[in-house]
Amino acid sequence: MDEAENTDPLKAYFDAGKAARPEPGDALMARIMADADRVQAERAAAPAPEPTPRRGRLGWLAAALGGWPAMAGLAAATVAGLWIGVSAPAGLTGIAQEVIAGSDGAYLIDLDPDATFVLADGGM
Amino acid sequence: MPLDEQSSAPDEALLVLYANGDAVAARVLTARLLPRVLAQAQRLLGNRAEAEDVAQEAMLRLWRIAPEWRQGEARVTTWLYRVTANLCTDRFRKARGIGLDEAPEPEDERPGPAEGLQERARAEALQDALDRLPDRQREAVILRHIEELGNPEIAEIMEISVEAVESLVARGKRALAAELSARRDDLGYTDDG
Repeated sequence: MDEAENTDPLKAYFDAGKAARPEPGDALMARIMADADRVQAERAAAPAPEPTPRRGRLGWLAAALGGWPAMAGLAAATVAGLWIGVSAPAGLTGIAQEVIAGSDGAYLIDLDPDATFVLADGGM
Repeated sequence: MPLDEQSSAPDEALLVLYANGDAVAARVLTARLLPRVLAQAQRLLGNRAEAEDVAQEAMLRLWRIAPEWRQGEARVTTWLYRVTANLCTDRFRKARGIGLDEAPEPEDERPGPAEGLQERARAEALQDALDRLPDRQREAVILRHIEELGNPEIAEIMEISVEAVESLVARGKRALAAELSARRDDLGYTDDG
């Protein structure tokens, strides 16, 4: 409040207005409490809304493949395959070398159907 | 929560309690907030019966919004002042079919008896003069000088800038002063009491 407001000619009116604040009657209080109780009761009676699962793109993919348990199995298989491919086990390398070095027929393991014709023509 | 503990709880906490099914919270909130809502509505409308309807509607909206109330976003009182003012504005528009800045007709009903005849006469003169103000000026003057809110909160309630609030209050007070000075001689008292 500044000095101007202290000498405000309207101050006496505002003070009178504040003193004349209307008080709510019992009937109005009762109406408002009835509203409050009714709204609260309606809310309590209404079934709780079912939480709708929020699915992102991955969520939809998982659902299409049978849910997250199936996705876990798929992921494990993928990782295992990747690991086998990237880090060839020592035993496998040994077997491969033995097969390749131990026989000229190493080509025979080639499943390429063209190889049959090559062999038939004596192209070896 | 027991009644005596709720009496000191913030409005927002009581609203959450109400939304969660507490039976006492609404009573404490009503006892605390209704006098302000009713006073604002009555001063804006100048009519007790209409003010009671508006106060009931404003409180009903509070009960309905309770479950969605977001803590920390707005004060319950600020929200209620805004809802009450909007409801009063709607009534003016519907019932009287006049523009926002046209003066409504003063009503016969006045606030209850104040201390002493002169106090009561002043309160009635103030209400008469308030009734003649444009809506926005009346709302700003009531919130500032009768409800004694700060300009920033009034700006939030009226959804305008603080500068606009200052301007509305200043213009409203000038108009009030002119109106009341014209009545002063009729009332037969001075302003120093």
